[in-house]
Amino acid sequence: MYFLLAVVCAGLTLLAGTSRLTRGKYGLNVGTPEIKSINSLAFGPEGILFIGDSKSAVIFAVDTKDAVANDQVTTVEIKNIDQKIAALLGTTPENITIQDIAVNPVSKSVYCAVQSGDGTPVLFKIEGDKIVPVSTKNIPFSSLALNNVPSEGAKDKRGTSMRVSAISDIGFADGKVLVSGLSGQEFSSTFRSIPFPFTDKQDQAMLEIYHAAHGKYETLAPIRTFTTADINGKKYLVASYTCTPLVLFPLDELKAGSHVKGRTVAEMGSGNSPVDMVTMKKGSESFLMMANSARPVFKVKYKSIEAYQGSLTTPVEENFATAGVDFVSLPVTNVVQLDKLDDTRMILLQRRSNGSLDLWTSSERFL
Amino acid sequence: MLIRSCELHGLIFFIVLLQSCDTKKSVNKTFVIRKDQKAVGISFPLKYTEGIPPDSVFAFAEVRLLSKNKSVAILGDYSIVNQTVLFTPLIPFTHGLSYEILVKGKQIDTFEIPKNHSSRAPALLGIFPSADTLPENLLKVYLHFSHPMREGQSARYVTLLKNNSDTIKGAFLDLQPELWNPDRTILTLWLDPGRIKRDLIPNKLLGAPLKKNGSYQIVISKDWTDASGNSLSRSFTKTFTTIIRDSLSPDPDLWKISLPEKRTSNALKIDFHEPLDHSLLQETLTVKNQKGETISGKWQILDEEKVCLFSPDQNWISANYILRIETKLEDLAGNNLNRPFDKDITKKENKKKLGDFAEISFQVKD
Repeated sequence: MYFLLAVVCAGLTLLAGTSRLTRGKYGLNVGTPEIKSINSLAFGPEGILFIGDSKSAVIFAVDTKDAVANDQVTTVEIKNIDQKIAALLGTTPENITIQDIAVNPVSKSVYCAVQSGDGTPVLFKIEGDKIVPVSTKNIPFSSLALNNVPSEGAKDKRGTSMRVSAISDIGFADGKVLVSGLSGQEFSSTFRSIPFPFTDKQDQAMLEIYHAAHGKYETLAPIRTFTTADINGKKYLVASYTCTPLVLFPLDELKAGSHVKGRTVAEMGSGNSPVDMVTMKKGSESFLMMANSARPVFKVKYKSIEAYQGSLTTPVEENFATAGVDFVSLPVTNVVQLDKLDDTRMILLQRRSNGSLDLWTSSERFL
Repeated sequence: MLIRSCELHGLIFFIVLLQSCDTKKSVNKTFVIRKDQKAVGISFPLKYTEGIPPDSVFAFAEVRLLSKNKSVAILGDYSIVNQTVLFTPLIPFTHGLSYEILVKGKQIDTFEIPKNHSSRAPALLGIFPSADTLPENLLKVYLHFSHPMREGQSARYVTLLKNNSDTIKGAFLDLQPELWNPDRTILTLWLDPGRIKRDLIPNKLLGAPLKKNGSYQIVISKDWTDASGNSLSRSFTKTFTTIIRDSLSPDPDLWKISLPEKRTSNALKIDFHEPLDHSLLQETLTVKNQKGETISGKWQILDEEKVCLFSPDQNWISANYILRIETKLEDLAGNNLNRPFDKDITKKENKKKLGDFAEISFQVKD
């Protein structure tokens, strides 16, 4: 019912907004999206920002109107960014959480989703050392509700919905919005590939993804974070499960209703959860960079992934902490968010050892 | 200092009230506007900005946090209604903090958002599974709260203890975003699946978070606050012991169905002989008549999630009925009707796959 209400409200707002304005590019209409939470951000074409709203189970596409190409990329360096954002919001750092960051690939501005302790979401744009709020009132937007059958959600005695779920990551590749979602009831994930502009048809590919471990056990495996990459001339989804193994799926095999088994190419150690992944490039070599909850940032050469044609089919030696493709741990720990500024540089949000939460730009030397 | 707080449900009502009953008094004071226990805005008299043209007020008025450190103007929207300036910050003002209103950089007034009263303290209503004997490969724990809680905090406030003393680090998966229902009153915690899945490195190195024949406690700290900033009324502890792993799918053929009598609305009783997932039980069972129509009625989960009762809204008639079960229904270890949590693919399976539903027929007799 909640989801339905959100959709109805969004629809009404849309209608109200469209009476005076024509349907815009990418099927966006001017109005005020009812965004209840911002868990995940990803940029699409021409400054279109996709917002993953777990609370209403909706993906919003909003036009940031920030689509002027920037060839003079300035590096970002903001120390104690949580304190600065908290001050702008009239509160203290412990009352806010930075949910995600995303770099606009056209303008190279950094966008940052913040949530206050009471759950109110706020979107910011970082221009140099300035942090400015991004208004989501009267903007061109469209939305897509992820749950097709919202009325079937179970209710408890107080009438509140018991459906527990979250959008774990979103991305954009080949004209499609890719969304990984976790269910809090069944141990499973759904992976949706949604054509953009959004249509009424909602021809989403929904997948059940399995985790084949060492040729012996097979389990469902929720995806926590992902990126896309070209490997041997073929497009792949490079994903990491909640239990850290790194897996590959050919993008063209991800079809509606299919049950897909990922090829596990590496296990990245224990007691850790992947946070963010990006694909970087230097010269002819490309790299997968992966931030982790309890590990440093990992760097994996795509060349090694290409060369590693096996799947982890043999039991892992007990003494080894990791298995599969080789990777390097960078001397950067406690990275809580990560995105790509350009081919060779990343924007990192890092909790430093002195407790300061800093947003900074990495140099080429990490590659 | 002029402070008055007004318990209202939104700006519109606030303005209506101002106009109808309290216009003269209210324009002399700073009001805190509240909605759902949150301080969502303030209003202050336009005369605070005397000498400034109304269309320039927003350029000269500021609301800041009262702080020893240098504070900045808080982001938000200003508007002028009835000789009153309304300021709505991007996020509600924080309970326990004080703020100041400045015009042309000079302090004109201050206001405080007091801490919420403990009578409104949130409580933990239940922890599921509710049994005190659980399999060592327990996969999920559900926490049910009375109020919407602050998100992203479970790693800090939920602890798994062994023998009331040793904290088991990394027992729960640190998942961001966390898994909440839309109201933020139900949270799912997963025991680290990498440690439960057999043969993965975390499983090999650290073992499963729980071991059989152990005594464990899940402790929820009272320091956890709800979305309005109120701490839990008290800490909560669930104590349980562990038994051997459960690697078997629930099997409806083994369930016991106790039939009701016709011309009564007595409950149909289904005994699973094992606890099943509390949340999935709420939505995976349906009773249908011969025509395939769903019988409306109430479901109850009893006996530590081992039993379900279905009481129909209309009396039973002498006829055949079908209990339809969605096969995604899981036991406490994540084994569903179609597959165990981790399937040994080297072993051949004899069991036939059920599809999306399993069905049990029963007859209410004369």
